Amino acid sequence: MNEKNNNFVAPKWERQSHWLSRYWSIIADGLGAIGTILIGVLMIIICSDVVMRNLFGSSLPLVSELGALTLVMIVFLQLGTTVRHERLARTELFLPPFTAKFPRAGMFVKAMWDLVGAVLCGFIANSTYKILLKDLKFDNYIGVTGVLTIPTWPFRLMILIGITVAAIQFFIHVITGIKAIFALKEEE
Amino acid sequence: MTGIEIGILAIGILILAISLGMPIGVGMLLVSFGGVMMIRNERVAMSMIGSVANDSLREYLFAVVPLFVLMGLLVTVSGVGKDTFDVFERLMRKLVGGLGVATVFANAVFASITGVSIASATVFSKVAVPEMTRHGYTKRFATGVVAGSSVLGMLIPPSLLMIVYAVLAEESVGRMFLAGVGPGLLLAGLFSLAIIGMAMWRKDFVFEAGDDAAKDVEFEELSGLDIIRKALPIFSLVTLVLGGLYGGFLNPTEAGAVGAAGALVIALLRRSLTLKIFWNLLVESGHITVSVLFLIMAATFFSRMLAMSGLPNMLGEILLGDFLGPYGFLLLFLVIVILLGCLIDSISIMLILLPIALPVAQQAGFDLIWFGVMTVVAVEMGLLTPPFGLSVYTIKAAMNDPDLKVGDIFRGAMPFVLAMVVGLVILAIFPQISIWLARL
Repeated sequence: MNEKNNNFVAPKWERQSHWLSRYWSIIADGLGAIGTILIGVLMIIICSDVVMRNLFGSSLPLVSELGALTLVMIVFLQLGTTVRHERLARTELFLPPFTAKFPRAGMFVKAMWDLVGAVLCGFIANSTYKILLKDLKFDNYIGVTGVLTIPTWPFRLMILIGITVAAIQFFIHVITGIKAIFALKEEE
Repeated sequence: MTGIEIGILAIGILILAISLGMPIGVGMLLVSFGGVMMIRNERVAMSMIGSVANDSLREYLFAVVPLFVLMGLLVTVSGVGKDTFDVFERLMRKLVGGLGVATVFANAVFASITGVSIASATVFSKVAVPEMTRHGYTKRFATGVVAGSSVLGMLIPPSLLMIVYAVLAEESVGRMFLAGVGPGLLLAGLFSLAIIGMAMWRKDFVFEAGDDAAKDVEFEELSGLDIIRKALPIFSLVTLVLGGLYGGFLNPTEAGAVGAAGALVIALLRRSLTLKIFWNLLVESGHITVSVLFLIMAATFFSRMLAMSGLPNMLGEILLGDFLGPYGFLLLFLVIVILLGCLIDSISIMLILLPIALPVAQQAGFDLIWFGVMTVVAVEMGLLTPPFGLSVYTIKAAMNDPDLKVGDIFRGAMPFVLAMVVGLVILAIFPQISIWLARL
């Protein structure tokens, strides 16, 4: 969880932004913003359900299924920006002091971890893509047939986009990290 | 390699990788993927990682996380914490060490609307510490009290840790919440006793030497009406959330949504919210939600991999046999939890250890609600112990006082760590304190 302070302050080389990286930040943080808005939407949906049930005796349809899917979307839409701002929980016992002492070795270790993150998120994206194809092929939906049904593929697509963005973001960290190591080397 | 060897190897690599700074969730995904690949094959691992990512979070219950976090953040900016403290300050002023006790109880009440210890630590280091130092308490003691009583946030419902435990142990969240009430009050009582005891017999620890005049500093006068005005918002919010939950009107997720809406109304009425602040709070809730749920997702994979390896079963047979016995296992588990608390944060500890420990606890015939309460108390001790007591660092950051050494806060919090050890022993001997309300 994020009880940690964010000790990984982005170094100078990361702030000097390339135009590409500015567009990228719009994508990553923009998806995150959609996720952020969804938290408010979630609150409103659930509250309306409570009011409807307790005052009028009838719940809204599909609230629990929609709530569950909305939550999954919130997580995946914001995963990229969370990775981008280094907010994933990690221990700060070793790496920050080590990096302070041996900057290049420390950055290399961090780049390796980002690479692991990129690869694993890539695996998840790959597997999610197959699930998406299945959803499309079998017309999977939530709800009760004949009453109200919502297809699952749009949600799946959002998950796929979110996890792909997270994978790319991890990979960008790898590249910027390696670049910074060489930049430091030239300075010496 | 046998499954069991693979399981042990996976845990070893995980511990190594996260101590070297790999994000904890990524580490759990990595060893789980590798583990499944070695036990079965690559194809199974690939399809498992996808299904875990897509399905493990698809629970209505998890929507409770962003909602309770948002509620806590809203309450924090709207200044409800200060009002709660003012009310208890007025009620406890006649008592020896009264301000310390007031901090504990204000924290206990504040805890019933936030689920995160760190939130309480931030609020009360800004509210209670200046007031205590003004009245001649030492900074060490004042910050220690705030650090110690902030752990109540995770015991008294709604609590993020209880939700995580309930998910892992497949217990009902409502019951886990109820289970925290008794132990929370027990700890608040023990903390108060410790404060009064120190104020009477260890004056040098509590009060600045030779500063007797400060003790007579005037308290701000509060009329009965003021007290009601200050107590009303928090009282109505607690009633709304806990009353709705236990009156059977709301399930935990709905209680979160209604609570967040209520907190929003309070914040708006008190004019403490601009659009910009509200947006920042939403973003912050989002970050917390993602880091918690990403960990839960990774831990789901980790626990499935471990189950495949057969390691928890074998550990159960060894640990519960003649070697240790059930209570020996409990002791070992709690010691490991407290030690890990020195290194990693509360939720990660639970997500790493519980997939291994829960099957063993089940074999031992423990009541899992009771086991959960013990786990949460032990995990929270980690927030107060060096070198990585998170509550202590939060207070240090919130105080922004260069004279205040981290070591002083740790020393100030030490009596409360000891009180928690006493509490843990009492809870172990009398499981009824945890179970009674929950199994009613």
